[in-house]
Amino acid sequence: MKTVLKGNGAVAKAVQMARTQVICAYPITPQTSIVEELAEMVASGHLDSRFIKVESEHSSMAGCIGAASTGARTFTATSSQGLALMHEMLHWAAGARLPIVMVNVNRGLGPGWSLWADQSDSLAQRDTGWMQVYCQSCQEVFDTVIQAFEVSQRVLLPSMVMLDGFFLSHTYEDMDLPEPSLIDSFLHPICLPHKIDLQKPATLGSMVSPDRYMEFRKKIDLAHQQALDVWTAVDVEWNALTGRSYGLLEEYRMQGAELVLVATATPASTARAVVDGLRDQGIPAGLLRLRVFRPFPAAALRHALRNRKKVVVLDRSCSYGHHGAFHQEIKSALYELPAAEQPDVKGIIAGIGGRDITAEDLEEMLLLAWQDKLSEAVTWWKTLPETINR
Amino acid sequence: MVVLEPTVLEEVPVTSYSDHPTLSMRTGTWKYLQPRYEDKLPPCAHACPAGNDISKILALLACGDLKGAGKWLRAGNPLAATLGRVCPHSCQQSCNRDSLGGALAIHRLERFLGDQSLQYSPQLQPPTGQKVAVIGAGPAGITSAYLLAQAGHEVHIFDDKPKPGGFLRTGIPAFRLPKEILDQEIALVESVGVQFHQNIRVGRDLTFEDLKSRFAVVIVAAGLHASRPLKISDNGQAHVYHGIDVLERMQTQESLSIPGVVAVLGGGNTAIDVARSLLRAGSTPVIVYRRTEAEMPAIPSEIEEAKAEGVAFHFLAAPSRIVVEGGKIVALECQRMRLGEPDASGRRAPVPLPAPEFRLPVSAVVAAIGETADLEFLPEDLRNHGGFATQSVLDGDFRGVFVAGDVATNSGTVAAAVGSGRQVAATVDRYLRGEQPLTENPVLPSLWPRALNHAQVADAQLLNPAYFLPEVSCPLPEPSQASSTEWAVNEARRCLGCGTCNGCLNCYHWCPDVAIQVSSASAALKIDLEHCKGCGICVEECPRGAMAMAEVG
Repeated sequence: MKTVLKGNGAVAKAVQMARTQVICAYPITPQTSIVEELAEMVASGHLDSRFIKVESEHSSMAGCIGAASTGARTFTATSSQGLALMHEMLHWAAGARLPIVMVNVNRGLGPGWSLWADQSDSLAQRDTGWMQVYCQSCQEVFDTVIQAFEVSQRVLLPSMVMLDGFFLSHTYEDMDLPEPSLIDSFLHPICLPHKIDLQKPATLGSMVSPDRYMEFRKKIDLAHQQALDVWTAVDVEWNALTGRSYGLLEEYRMQGAELVLVATATPASTARAVVDGLRDQGIPAGLLRLRVFRPFPAAALRHALRNRKKVVVLDRSCSYGHHGAFHQEIKSALYELPAAEQPDVKGIIAGIGGRDITAEDLEEMLLLAWQDKLSEAVTWWKTLPETINR
Repeated sequence: MVVLEPTVLEEVPVTSYSDHPTLSMRTGTWKYLQPRYEDKLPPCAHACPAGNDISKILALLACGDLKGAGKWLRAGNPLAATLGRVCPHSCQQSCNRDSLGGALAIHRLERFLGDQSLQYSPQLQPPTGQKVAVIGAGPAGITSAYLLAQAGHEVHIFDDKPKPGGFLRTGIPAFRLPKEILDQEIALVESVGVQFHQNIRVGRDLTFEDLKSRFAVVIVAAGLHASRPLKISDNGQAHVYHGIDVLERMQTQESLSIPGVVAVLGGGNTAIDVARSLLRAGSTPVIVYRRTEAEMPAIPSEIEEAKAEGVAFHFLAAPSRIVVEGGKIVALECQRMRLGEPDASGRRAPVPLPAPEFRLPVSAVVAAIGETADLEFLPEDLRNHGGFATQSVLDGDFRGVFVAGDVATNSGTVAAAVGSGRQVAATVDRYLRGEQPLTENPVLPSLWPRALNHAQVADAQLLNPAYFLPEVSCPLPEPSQASSTEWAVNEARRCLGCGTCNGCLNCYHWCPDVAIQVSSASAALKIDLEHCKGCGICVEECPRGAMAMAEVG
């Protein structure tokens, strides 16, 4: 069914159609309308779910952990400071191997206060054991939330689905909603081997001595490696039902491309037109959109970028004192290529705190790279010129 | 059970998971503080001069056990129906419910239960063969006699009035305390074996030494029955009435008529009672007091009632001269005053203003400026004894002599006299049984309003609409505040039971270690100290303050 929804509305619709059983969330801009819509659905009887109100995000994740431990399909959404407050519980959710799905609407962290798009919040949670997927359109948001439920329950890892604050969360797009029966046939029931069973009392998350802790942790890592294949498989299954798929990476005009922009989320959609324009000028440009960041599709990235001349990686965050997270990870992945096949990789930090990344910006970045004019490994894009080194 | 150790990674469960309970982890060893259940004295009982166990009485009443509640009230207090009428009820003023729907109507409940339990028959201990004499049949004497007789001692009260009751009979007007109520409570005291000897004045009809030689114990509970003299120029003193005499003559059926405007001097309960009695007898009373209403020692509600009835007040006026013409009082000359620095009593002292005196046209003057004890009948050595007015055991020649009531405490309320009678009875009983006196009452720390976790008081806890009905005003006959049983039980249900565990299970619900053990609905809660980590959440969240933390060991 054709419809028009904003990113947050697509999330709420997906959570509803997935027949989510427990929602435990706390509102925060720009995520708020997700929670509001879900609360209304529950209150009006349009979603048969338990909506648990909490006093903080730490508690909302704790509530999700409790609910998911019973085998219930569980969802929450947050942003920025809220995600940061959840940090401790994020480790627990992954360590307890619970298939919780969370949407994080990317937003900068204070101070100074920022309400706008910035990926620092989710990238700071990179090592918690959660899977991370960055979306580009409202349709992709809907499809990815559904896919995330399925992948999470297959590999027993929690998923974090990312939308750029306002650029995606509050932008309306036309999209196609599948029939409810399609979702019902696509999603399998949750099968949690360690689900709470009142008939078989047990201790969950008990203390583990050094002679076994490492094995549990290794299993999380193995599950992530397995999840790369599962994301691909689920994407293929989704494609069979809906005709839509996204892959771990999305390639655009990569055939013969010597100059490649690696981008995530909404700037990648702007970049399509830029790549088209450069191609018209005779510059062999291409776009590689990184969609699934955890698990990290290193082999696919190496395959897509080997033998390219110039690669520009766009980061909407910075690991202060070093590069942006995407830049450093992609560079490290490419280091395993033979030296002759390694492209020249430059990083650009742009759009921090919601600053717009325009088509002109992207074209200028790519041209500078093509002309060997990006002298630094990392460039903070168009900030005020340095005056004095304080 | 046999635990198979996994040999390959696939056999390791997905996350840490054990079918052993966590009970094997003795988290209790972590703590250096541990909680315990500890009932405390609630603020109402702490404020009660008569020593009533208010929360237990109300708990019984809340369960609908009228008999049990009455019994528990009467166990230490023969004058409950009296106190239910005349007590200034400091209990109610300190009630923690004050900010939660209003303080409980403890005063009215005491009257209700007191009236319900007038036929109460206490259990008596076997006779001890010990004899006790009590001088004075006022509230302190009656209370100590009642308790000592129940304890098996033979108790005789000697009193110089025709009927027992002391100030309850002679000093409190019938509109505040109907004499039938007093008579029924005295009958209750007689029913436990106390023998009243009326019209016997010690020092006139028999000597103190007589009593001392015939009784193992003599309790002096003679009260304050001498009026303080008025310190103004001698002229006119002969025409001045004394407050307690006026009250006594009006109470004992002797017709006393003081027509016209009557100046009543003083700010205590006697002054108020005199003025209200005079009003009922057709006079026009004017209370003349040298300070302001805020400094008056009288019970505030009685002042309010006197004002409502039409008693006039002249504040900041000190009588300086009584003007007599033709053998009759025609006026009272007064000095205008202002309030100065606080005096020894903590109240602001009256200071004369440099203004001319003013004249109040009156036809009579009643001095009600306080009472003192008349103890001439006692040996001088006894009166001068260091421990005389202390409610304790005296040494030397005066072993066996005890002092109770206003003579010992000078507190001036019936409740304090009852409390003193109770305390002295307990000391005397131990003395007669050859036990050492208790050095201190084993009283648990009081629970003050702020110590109570108001947040945990359930909103659903019954708020009794009857409480918010306007107080029945005080008409000339005894105020009619007939309390139905239903009202009383509902009101008692509002009691939070401050300081007393009632098994509400709040601790159980809050404990993060599931270390509160509930065996059955009625059994006392226990703490599983092997697993309690000593976090103290239970103590913090207890809505009644009935738990405490202490260091381990």
